[in-house]
Amino acid sequence: MTNKSNIRNFCIIAHIDHGKSTLADRLMERTGQVSERDMEAQLLDSMDIERERGITIKLTPVRMFYKAKDGNEYEFNLIDTPGHVDFTYEVSRSLAACEGAILIVDASQGVEAQTLANVYLALENNLEILPVINKIDLPSARPDEVKAEIEEVIGLDASNAPLISAKEGIGIDDVLEAIVKYFPAPDCNEKAPLRALIFDSYYDNYKGVILFVRIKDGAVKAGDRIKTFRSDKIYEVVETGVFAPNLSPKNGLSAGDVGYIAASIKSIQDVAVGDTVINADNPAAEPLEGYKVVQSVVFCGIYPLDGSKFNDLKEAILKLQLNDASLIFEADSSVALGFGFRCGFLGLLHMEIIQERIEREFGLEIITTAPSVSYKVIKTDGEEIFIDNPSHLPPVSEIEHMEEPIVKADIYSPPEYLGQIMDLCREKRGVFLQMTYLDKSRVRLEYNLPLNEIIFDFFDAIKSRTRGYASFDYELIGYERSKLVKLDIMLNGDVCDALSMIVHEDSAYTRGRTLCENLKEAIPRQLFEVPVQAAIGGKIIARETVKAVRKDVLAKCYGGDITRKKKLLEKQKEGKKRMRQIGNVEVPSEVFMQILKTNKD
Amino acid sequence: MSGIYVHIPFCKSKCTYCDFASFPDKLCYAESYMACVYREMAKRKKELESYKFDTLYIGGGTPSVIDENYIAMLVAAARKNFRLAENAEITIEMNPGTVSAKKIEAYLKCGINRFSVGLQTAVDSQLKDIGRIHTLKEFLLCAKLLKGQNFSADVMLGLKNQTAADVVKTIETAAYSGAKHISMYALSPEDGTPIYTDYLNGELPCGDEVAELYSVGANKLKELGFNRYEVSNFAKKGFESRHNLNYWRRGEYIGFGVAASSCINNVRFTNTFDLDEYFKCILSDNFAVINSENIDKAGQEEEFIMLALRTEKGLNLSEYQKLFGYDFLQKFSPQIQKAREYTEVSNGFFRIKEEFMFVQNSIIIGFLN
Repeated sequence: MTNKSNIRNFCIIAHIDHGKSTLADRLMERTGQVSERDMEAQLLDSMDIERERGITIKLTPVRMFYKAKDGNEYEFNLIDTPGHVDFTYEVSRSLAACEGAILIVDASQGVEAQTLANVYLALENNLEILPVINKIDLPSARPDEVKAEIEEVIGLDASNAPLISAKEGIGIDDVLEAIVKYFPAPDCNEKAPLRALIFDSYYDNYKGVILFVRIKDGAVKAGDRIKTFRSDKIYEVVETGVFAPNLSPKNGLSAGDVGYIAASIKSIQDVAVGDTVINADNPAAEPLEGYKVVQSVVFCGIYPLDGSKFNDLKEAILKLQLNDASLIFEADSSVALGFGFRCGFLGLLHMEIIQERIEREFGLEIITTAPSVSYKVIKTDGEEIFIDNPSHLPPVSEIEHMEEPIVKADIYSPPEYLGQIMDLCREKRGVFLQMTYLDKSRVRLEYNLPLNEIIFDFFDAIKSRTRGYASFDYELIGYERSKLVKLDIMLNGDVCDALSMIVHEDSAYTRGRTLCENLKEAIPRQLFEVPVQAAIGGKIIARETVKAVRKDVLAKCYGGDITRKKKLLEKQKEGKKRMRQIGNVEVPSEVFMQILKTNKD
Repeated sequence: MSGIYVHIPFCKSKCTYCDFASFPDKLCYAESYMACVYREMAKRKKELESYKFDTLYIGGGTPSVIDENYIAMLVAAARKNFRLAENAEITIEMNPGTVSAKKIEAYLKCGINRFSVGLQTAVDSQLKDIGRIHTLKEFLLCAKLLKGQNFSADVMLGLKNQTAADVVKTIETAAYSGAKHISMYALSPEDGTPIYTDYLNGELPCGDEVAELYSVGANKLKELGFNRYEVSNFAKKGFESRHNLNYWRRGEYIGFGVAASSCINNVRFTNTFDLDEYFKCILSDNFAVINSENIDKAGQEEEFIMLALRTEKGLNLSEYQKLFGYDFLQKFSPQIQKAREYTEVSNGFFRIKEEFMFVQNSIIIGFLN
């Protein structure tokens, strides 16, 4: 077996689309892990959505063997990282499982916001960083400038950075050699009590939760009794193994190894990412550092389109949660939408992915309500509560004041779009912090922005206003007092709880007006006139009217063709099934999604 | 009650809104076609022995376009093969552009006692627009020939550039020239017809405008002594179409010819829409049915409700009880409660209120499963 000094545990950090998965594929191919023809596009991105969107959400580690020029064989454990800001914590745990990180920088686009964020994460975890300049085959490649940028912006020595094209397979050997040369072997203490970092997990129907671990100290093998630091539940290890890249059993893992543990664990909630696995009979005294309870940032209601499918939806969410501990939910009910779930997500992308997976993997049609953030409400009696569902907001009279979550946003852009970005940030109530010229063609803008302003369409807006050149990253920095109001929508005099939202006082009128206008278009005419009103605390601020329908009748009955008539009525009836009853108004389910598009950029 | 329907799929030319089985270029096949229809009738004779028919309806297409002798033979064939009541209502559809004194004489002689004339509109430019072959003058001539007879006129709503005044003029024209019955219905632009292009280009009156035309028309008809008995059918007292009423009451009927529909013993079936196919089937001594559906009890109930609610009188509560064994008002209590503003119960009938007649679909579907 491999000597521990011949192990290299590393990850790849890259901006979306800078070629992370492609490089990973090349490394596997070159080390003979998979043959070229067995590869289905990019192996590490195993979910359909990941492959379609070209992004990696879920980490899948892989083990490779490489015969280096020094004549020794090395074991490489590549731990892939998600490339999106929503998954920062997951990334940080993956990084903590490694000693080194390959930093891929696009030879024409240079350093991007997300790259930076993850580089800092890697540095925090004391990782050795190996910069690699990718896509040098492109005509627009400017490797020397990009090298200078890396040194300037990140402060890393890029003089020896391999110049590669993962797509064309250029420079891959240089990367492999550099891994051996620059990344340290794991620091091993096999004699100490077991401490293993959980950096990911997934639920297997037969084996229960499979823990992806990096053994930091000690060893673990089948038959051992283990527990995690934060839970008292004890499990017996059934199987240990490595990633090749599919799970392949290997009896016993010891310090320095990256592998998996199966121990008939029933619930993913009991084994959170970042927690430390210890031996129940010989427990380590201290957990590994860095554990954090993941906080949901964005919330929305998810309801089945067909009210009778509630149980199917429940099953789907439960199943998704088995593999995604960061998805939280609780049963919720809405007057308008019936029974459903209030779900919390790490961010907007995470929310979209979950929504899409419910629809795609479980074939369920769902209605989602407008995304919301979690507001801090300080009540007149001094009590502090967090509200993420506008319809749960206490009456105005009981609210002393409200606070909203604020993020610090870093926006990187070519200087010519500064004006547009600053306008956008101003519209979104941003507070300018500072501006730094990274080089002649790149500026970093720092803003404090209310999170609720960026959860709607900020990302799209920034992309469209800068022709896609700007990139953007954010982190939560805390709560700030703000003038927030609850905007209600009334249909025919009845408040529709699913359409309520918490907005800033200054934008309430515009929001209300746009909402009413959109709803007027989206709500089909009924047998009676339907007033659509926006209200703040009982005060109407905008009104539109959906006129009563005047013609809804089947034509002449040709030659007794009743069947055709019946079919037409049945079709109409089917359409009605997609409607939700709000008071006595019938509203198509699509409305709840359409109205989210409030800003016409 | 039960009826016989015969479809004559020939026309001089196709109207721009027509998506029904009619073949303007195949008039030369009329003789062979009618021969097939007689044969199809004979083939159904045995199966329908026990039926007594009260109506015979000759529709199209344009039945009046073919030789009147075929029509006379058709009526004779119906009488020969089936028990058609002595006082049966026998209707023929006519296009005013294909009528002559000789034809009408022949029709009357063979026992036809009701005429349905496709007026559509009294505005010549609109007639031309929708591809009708006749003019207002020809309609007046036709009406003159039908003087004293029980005849009905069709009026269409929703034509390009049609105004309320046009509708009033059309209704007055029909009424003053002696029509005892008027069918007033909204044009429905079907995909694939020439008029669909007008519809897509927004050249046809919108739903609200058609509703307005309907409202003006219905008022005019009322004023002229025509009572609405179904959403698009109006008649002087005693001149309601029995054949039509049979449809709304979910009565049985047998259809002959291309695209004809039937409902016998709770089986709905339809003949092929393809003329050649029809010939082939009949000549090889088969029926020409292309689809047939058994209507189960729930389906019967749905049909009964959907059809009855089209009529002014509404749904006969005791008849419903007799047929389906439930008290309608009890069984549909929540639906009735929900639709209480649009419906009413009186004299043993449940019906859609007059003012909601033209928006009845969304009310009716509330009562479907």
